[in-house]
Amino acid sequence: MAGFLEYVPGESLLHRMNPVAKLACALILSVACFCTGNLVFLLGVVVLDLALAASCSMTRQALGLARAVAAFSAVLALIALLTTPEGAVLAPLPWGYVGTGSVLAAVRIIVRLVACAVPLFLVMYVTQMNDLANALVKMAHVPYRYAFTFTSTVHFIPVFMNDMAGIMEAQTARGVEFDGSFAKRLRLMAPLCVPLLVSSVRKTNSAAIAAEVRGFNLRTAASGYKTYPMAARDWAALAACVLVLAAAIALSALGM
Amino acid sequence: MIEFRNVSASYDGELPVLRDVSLTIPDGDFVAFAGTNGAGKSTTMRLINGLLKPTSGEVLLDGVPTTALRTSEVARKVGFLFQNPDRQICQPTVREELLFGFTAVGEGGPDAEACVDAMIEAFGFDADAEPFLLNRGTRQLLALASIIVREPDVVVLDEPTTGLDYRECAKVMEAVGRLNAAGATVVMVCHDMEVVGDYARRVIAMTAGTVVDDGPTFKVLRRPETLRRAHLLPPQVTEVSMLLGADPALAGTAVARADTLDEMAAAVAALASEAARAAARERAALGACAPMGGE
Repeated sequence: MAGFLEYVPGESLLHRMNPVAKLACALILSVACFCTGNLVFLLGVVVLDLALAASCSMTRQALGLARAVAAFSAVLALIALLTTPEGAVLAPLPWGYVGTGSVLAAVRIIVRLVACAVPLFLVMYVTQMNDLANALVKMAHVPYRYAFTFTSTVHFIPVFMNDMAGIMEAQTARGVEFDGSFAKRLRLMAPLCVPLLVSSVRKTNSAAIAAEVRGFNLRTAASGYKTYPMAARDWAALAACVLVLAAAIALSALGM
Repeated sequence: MIEFRNVSASYDGELPVLRDVSLTIPDGDFVAFAGTNGAGKSTTMRLINGLLKPTSGEVLLDGVPTTALRTSEVARKVGFLFQNPDRQICQPTVREELLFGFTAVGEGGPDAEACVDAMIEAFGFDADAEPFLLNRGTRQLLALASIIVREPDVVVLDEPTTGLDYRECAKVMEAVGRLNAAGATVVMVCHDMEVVGDYARRVIAMTAGTVVDDGPTFKVLRRPETLRRAHLLPPQVTEVSMLLGADPALAGTAVARADTLDEMAAAVAALASEAARAAARERAALGACAPMGGE
């Protein structure tokens, strides 16, 4: 079973799409989410995200991501709730009030972040990192070192998560209990950042040396063997995403 | 005492990595689990210290199922040394790292500090050294010391000699041997059959999540069927004795049956090599090997 942000092999339409087209579509959808605050539109994008996830059998991963992003954005939502005094008063506060508009603002933040984050994460699950890097270099003319940096960063996320799980397991075996209050867990986990940091530095150092000895600096855009032609489905997907973006801009312009 | 009763285990709830394993490890035993990667050895280790709970069956620690114990309670009885010491070490100095074993279970205090001081002296550590700046072998020794400083009843070692040179390996295993001599039960996973042959009194050979053989080291590592099924290579001295067809009844003599000169030369060379190794380790020299038969 693949871990967080690790490629899941498949033959779905999303799997077969051009890597750059996938990334561009995800970015366009994300931008669209920030062009309008229309809650119905944002919920529509969330539904579209889930439909795309279902089309490549990633519903479980997408729901997991949505939950994680929603939990993360809850902090921002709480701030919005307490600092956006709009609409009918629901609860007075010393510095203002919580109104119906405040609740909508809070909900909008959560839905917006979920709507824009899911497609970006989905790209990682349906695209091999090497393909993404090579396609970015060949098609978007991104310098290889930046493409490599990006893909290495994404690649290392599950590695570091695995390392952290291993470190926590080792400490659990020594009798440390990671349950209890948030403050207690934070206190217990703080020292574990040291072995994680050491392991991270060692791994990145090894990866850098390995890349150097394999001729990292000699690589050019023409070095890649694979080609990434744009197919009709890629253009169609891009057109659909541009339409979504146009709809978002139109809603914003109309003040809806 | 550690007891496995019809234990099966799985990491994802679907694919079993351990199938219906039953075994007993009495107090004070020194057991080595041997087998290929994926045989279920490390899973067995995780079951012993409660990091993994069985999907069926029971793992009993002194008669109490590990499912009824918190991992911290198991940790008081069972010390676990991981293959990679860097996952275990998390304190800024050697002294604090050794002390962490006590504070983690709420047992810090003057007695703990006295134990730590004794351990620092026994292993010759620099108490104020930064653990991550020590070499690999010393880090492994520190990880081991931080486990045994609390004098657990059982020490579980998951491939303790991986990545160590001969000298470092000997240092780690001598410490483990002393612990066992003092009464602790030692359970280890080890791919180095020389280490297994030198230290373990009992070998449990595993393959595909099942136990294929269990018995005294010198017997298990001589059974061709066990070696074949668990993909094991016996220690060199065992190989030599098997090659020479040694018979304990001959009391010090070994009879080799070799059909070709090459086979006989190989047998003699292997024997000589092992004798040199044994002498270098100041262990008992091999007995005289005569007469030799063959062409």
